[in-house]
Amino acid sequence: MAIIYLDNNATTAVAPEVVEAMLPYLRDQYFNPSSMYDAARGPARAVAEARAGIANHLRCRPEEILFTSCATESNNTAIIGAIRARPERRHIVTTRVEHPAVLEVCKFLVRDGFEVDFLPVDGSGQLEVEAFVRALRPGQTLLVSVMHANNETGVLFPIGELARIAKETDPGILVHTDATQTAGKLPLDLKGELRHVDLLSLSGHKLHSPKGVGALFLRRGAPVRPFLLGGHQEGGRRGGTENVPYIVGLARALELAEATHAEDHERIAALRDRLEDELTRRIPYLEVNGAGAPRLDNTLNVAVHFVEGEGMLYQLSARGICASSGSACTSGSLEPSHVLRAMAVPFTAVHGSLRFSLSRYTTAAEIEAVIETLPEIVASLRRLSPYWDEGARAPRPEGEALLRQAVEERRQRLAQQG
Amino acid sequence: MTWNYSEKTTKLFMDAVQGRPGTHMGEIANPDGIGEHGSLACGDALRFTFRVERHPSDPTQDIIVEARYLTFGCTSAIAASEALCAIIEERRLTPIQALSITNKDIVEYLEGLPEQKIHCSVMGAEALQAAVFNWAQRRGVDLRALGVDITPEEREEGRVVCTCFGLTEPYLRRKIMELNLRSIADITNALKAGGACMSCHHKPGGLQDLLDDIWGRQPTEFKTEVELPVARLISRARSEDGLSPYQFAKKVERVLDEYVRPMLAQDGGDLEVVDIKDTLVYCRLKGACAGCVGANQTIKFMVEQVLKDRVDQRCRVIAV
Repeated sequence: MAIIYLDNNATTAVAPEVVEAMLPYLRDQYFNPSSMYDAARGPARAVAEARAGIANHLRCRPEEILFTSCATESNNTAIIGAIRARPERRHIVTTRVEHPAVLEVCKFLVRDGFEVDFLPVDGSGQLEVEAFVRALRPGQTLLVSVMHANNETGVLFPIGELARIAKETDPGILVHTDATQTAGKLPLDLKGELRHVDLLSLSGHKLHSPKGVGALFLRRGAPVRPFLLGGHQEGGRRGGTENVPYIVGLARALELAEATHAEDHERIAALRDRLEDELTRRIPYLEVNGAGAPRLDNTLNVAVHFVEGEGMLYQLSARGICASSGSACTSGSLEPSHVLRAMAVPFTAVHGSLRFSLSRYTTAAEIEAVIETLPEIVASLRRLSPYWDEGARAPRPEGEALLRQAVEERRQRLAQQG
Repeated sequence: MTWNYSEKTTKLFMDAVQGRPGTHMGEIANPDGIGEHGSLACGDALRFTFRVERHPSDPTQDIIVEARYLTFGCTSAIAASEALCAIIEERRLTPIQALSITNKDIVEYLEGLPEQKIHCSVMGAEALQAAVFNWAQRRGVDLRALGVDITPEEREEGRVVCTCFGLTEPYLRRKIMELNLRSIADITNALKAGGACMSCHHKPGGLQDLLDDIWGRQPTEFKTEVELPVARLISRARSEDGLSPYQFAKKVERVLDEYVRPMLAQDGGDLEVVDIKDTLVYCRLKGACAGCVGANQTIKFMVEQVLKDRVDQRCRVIAV
């Protein structure tokens, strides 16, 4: 059975061009780039070229790029490194919808006595700028860490604007953004829109290079201490022998993304929009999470009322379709996704979320297959549901009552934080 | 987290969603017993109904001949519901005999369940108990007199230990002993308790305390969880000329009303003060000025200059 892979916000297929670029460094160019003999020049030059290429892509200086093992390491390095550099500041601003690689670090810091503001989002997943402004403390705030795009919903935060407001409030505030979901999908310009950003994390395996490599942009002069202590690699800012083949792969992947961006972007957006429109038309009581907010072109997150996500994923998987869900049964915790809860998605739908994330390899035929398959899967589960009448294609009276309660609860939740 | 369901579980699920003959999806009209467990908000819910062949004189000799379910939940919740109905119909039991069916029987019928999914089998057993209780009421059977002790309503009574799933101390105590749960992970897998915010794990009277009380104290891993702090308001220092933050804000508004807003109004625009911290004034242009290309420049230079001249030299304006 052919696989229809629509889980590209989780990880991506490695591009054949990336594999090609990596192979020499997995075969005979195995030398340690720090070594002195001539043979090591190849790998050393490859790392330097990769660094320059990525810097060119992000419009920054090569020495402002650190290679890491993953975006989680980049995020830890940014946050822990920043707090180590300036012990006099002990306040951090972040959001409730960050990836765990930021959220858990911030919760850990709360235990260590730091003050952290976890900003709420509205019903469409957007930050309220007022709340951001309110949270900033001139002279005290050490770090703002706000993701560029949300991995679950694709909702984009205006990080350029937020960074400018933070810097105008107090130039001493460092601004970090986790750009794992935007690197390779959107042009990132650290001289233009993102010129006030000091730290930016990205990951290779979200943009068609392999797992096990990431990068951190660290603006020259930004006070950040090393996190992974060890050798003199990366200018003493990150110990550990350079992962040469993967670094080469990451650079090649970004290069490819840049080269094909214009055409991919339009094609992917059209496919996503078609999927969204057709699912909305064919499945009653389906909500699009993040509708109305600026979103990544490749991401569609829907919540189906009165259906549990795992049963849908399981049947999709049986037909070769790979997607993901924020339902409790798939999260590893018994709680549904923290992102969807922060958006106050009604409880009748929060267990029935599905995320489809597309890539440049997604075809129109694959999207049609989902459009044909999912409505039938939803109907099969709703037939079993105590809250749904599939004959009438509507909730039963008890489901209707719960829906009213859920919508009212959502209204109150959002009003409370607004 | 990929699926490691048994073939049996998978088959029961796929048969059910495809509505194959021999599956038990549905609801019996005018049932002899009905029981529910779980809720939509908690992520799984089961409505279980059965019909009996009535004994002419002795209701305790009724035999369950048909069982049906409606389930909202994951793959294993649906498979466990199928298993429950299949076991009952196969065995031809009286409702009281049916009470001997435990979650272990359901797990066995499914040829195993992943640990984190054990609660799906518990849900089946609980719904069955509730249905038998309901049958006894309908048929005028005094279960207590027969030495059968089921009290489904204890779920609702007593101190709530796990607030996420609304589970009470008496319920948790009974289930911990009944299912021989020895650790917090066991409790979470079987009952979901403690599986969401986790704040009940180690607080006084929490899950670990219940375990220690029931089984005796055992060495445990130390763990605390942090709750998100509520966003704090910032205290503002007094400005240069000794104005309090309130007076300062009033003065800013007065000056804006007098010197800035009339100018903007000529172009159909307006200005909103979003926040003030010390002498930082956060402003947003509204109306016709909101979409203007020069909007931020207007704020930065025109508004800032007015405030510098008329409120406080240190005033800085930030566009938001």
